[in-house]
Amino acid sequence: MNKKIIALLLAVMMVFGLAACGSKGAEEPAGTDLASASWDEIVEQAKGTDVAFYGWGGDENRNNWLNGTVADYLKENYDINFEYIGMDINDILAKLTSEKEAGEETGSIDMIWINGENFYTAKENGLLYGPFTSQLPNMEAYIDGDDPETLNDFCKPIDGYEAPYAKAQMVMYNDSAVTPETPKNADEFLEYAKANKGKVTYPALPDFTGSAFVRNLIYEKCGWEQFQTMEADKATVKEAIEPALEYLRELNPYLWNEGKTFPADSTALDQMFQDGEVVMDMSYGPFTVASGIADGTLPETCQTFVFDNGTIGNTNYMAIAFDAPNKAGAMVAINAIISGDIQLTQYAELRELPVVDQDKLSDDEKAAFDAVDLGKGVLTQADLLTHRLPEMPADLVPVIEEIWAEEVVGK
Amino acid sequence: MRNSRILSFILILTAIIIILPALVILLWTVTGRWPWPGLLPESYTLRTVEELLFGSSGLWKILKSSVILATAVAVLGTVIALMTARATEIYRIRGRKLISSASILPLIVPGTVFAMGIQVTLIRIHLNDTITGVIIVHLVAALPYCITIMMDMTAAVGSSLEEQAAVLGAKPLRGFLDVTLPQLLPGILSSASMAYIISYSQYFTTLMAGGGKVKTLALVMFPYIQSGDRALASIYAAVFVGSALIVFFVFEAIIHRIVRS
Repeated sequence: MNKKIIALLLAVMMVFGLAACGSKGAEEPAGTDLASASWDEIVEQAKGTDVAFYGWGGDENRNNWLNGTVADYLKENYDINFEYIGMDINDILAKLTSEKEAGEETGSIDMIWINGENFYTAKENGLLYGPFTSQLPNMEAYIDGDDPETLNDFCKPIDGYEAPYAKAQMVMYNDSAVTPETPKNADEFLEYAKANKGKVTYPALPDFTGSAFVRNLIYEKCGWEQFQTMEADKATVKEAIEPALEYLRELNPYLWNEGKTFPADSTALDQMFQDGEVVMDMSYGPFTVASGIADGTLPETCQTFVFDNGTIGNTNYMAIAFDAPNKAGAMVAINAIISGDIQLTQYAELRELPVVDQDKLSDDEKAAFDAVDLGKGVLTQADLLTHRLPEMPADLVPVIEEIWAEEVVGK
Repeated sequence: MRNSRILSFILILTAIIIILPALVILLWTVTGRWPWPGLLPESYTLRTVEELLFGSSGLWKILKSSVILATAVAVLGTVIALMTARATEIYRIRGRKLISSASILPLIVPGTVFAMGIQVTLIRIHLNDTITGVIIVHLVAALPYCITIMMDMTAAVGSSLEEQAAVLGAKPLRGFLDVTLPQLLPGILSSASMAYIISYSQYFTTLMAGGGKVKTLALVMFPYIQSGDRALASIYAAVFVGSALIVFFVFEAIIHRIVRS
């Protein structure tokens, strides 16, 4: 009796196994070879298709912009049904890894919102399709090809595997009604922390924002140039950032909870700032304050500031999945998103730094960008871009996070 | 007398502990700013209501698919659990000990590990990114609870009355439907509610098995909780709890109807 059941189970499993083998390669997408197709052929092939864009879904304004403005534009101009699906980048990469492992050739993800370490890992593991950016006409028409951020993502070569989407830049902000002063450099920040003892802190690394803030302080203390080509060797990095580590330890006693613990992530710090538990907050979105004031989550007296020496900026990008069911559609959608039209709506509706090269814009387009009302409490685009420092190489980031945990927390 | 007073005091205290935080969630749904140490919010906003009703997320579509999915899991899970319980408790099939201990195995394997592994299997059998695949995965998560509930219930009810009916000449199916099933109804209700709420609140397994194509309320809500938008997270939480409660009332009404007829 028992043996019969086991035999039956084994048989069922074998059938499933065989079904999996038999189906491989059955669905070969019809159409031309994309890599050698002309742009007109790609647009033609994309007509009437669906494109699924996967990325972080925690920003209601961005979700609405993508499923509204961008989707309407693509439907109207290219007859593409565009949908944005909120999924964390870690989950996206996990999904793609499983699909690769299972030998899937047609997945469900077309485009991915990605940058930095995640891009580096995804590209190394063959999870991305490409190179494709040289085929997009708007790369030539709107994007500065010599900009280091077009060529490299966290100092790692892009090689045509992703196209710019939006620019981010580290900014700090506080409520001028509570603390009118805005620290202009690391030393002033230390004084600020002393004056507001226990009411200043930053998110614990490896939080994205906290990690960028610490790198920013490292740039303040050690300069930024030497890191661009540094090898990700712990001893080398530690020696190079020693002055910054000393500074961070000196800062600790004046921080929230005396630097023994830090808020778990930038979300926690944002909430502490909104609740009045700390007097200063920071963000990778340069116009966060304007959105916050508009939403009513931040008081009208909030002000944004950056260090005189500049703050770290990076670009985030769009890539195509290796098993994207609709690569042609994804290319058309990406090409549309880097156009002046869509970048303008992103700037106006989401208050996100555009990736278009200002010198490549026509006078009308330039005027349209200048006419955008950014809202209250923020710095201008020009102010930000003149105070912009490049990111460190992607592989230095985890090393610094490790050193911070060992040498700074509670010391 | 004294005992019952203490008892009702504890009851009220428990109710307050559960209800008070829920009321705070309701207040948060329309809160703009609520800085410390204010007892009440400093400003109010209808931004969240607007987003919920007119945003691009399509509340009704998501709500519909979540409810259908969870109800399917509740019905299937309870039927499977009932059959398993009958097989092990009444018919005492061979290997029942193995079955009952194997039924709790899904609780031992961490959800994330299970989700990652099952995704590869679903791709192989071409059920990835489909609602069927998600139902199967949710069933695995819900069955340990359903089976445990139904086994206890079936054991408690026993088969003596059903045997009595058989002695009086009732056919097996009639005996089960008319005699045993009504006695099992409370267990069926708990099992279905349990399976429903487990399916309703699955996040990672839905994400992996459904690949973002199968959309549920939990899937839309989670990023907002994670991004710290407390007002928006609260309004989704309120919809989540409210809709689950409505479904439970419907379940209970259906069961009552059956009992009466």
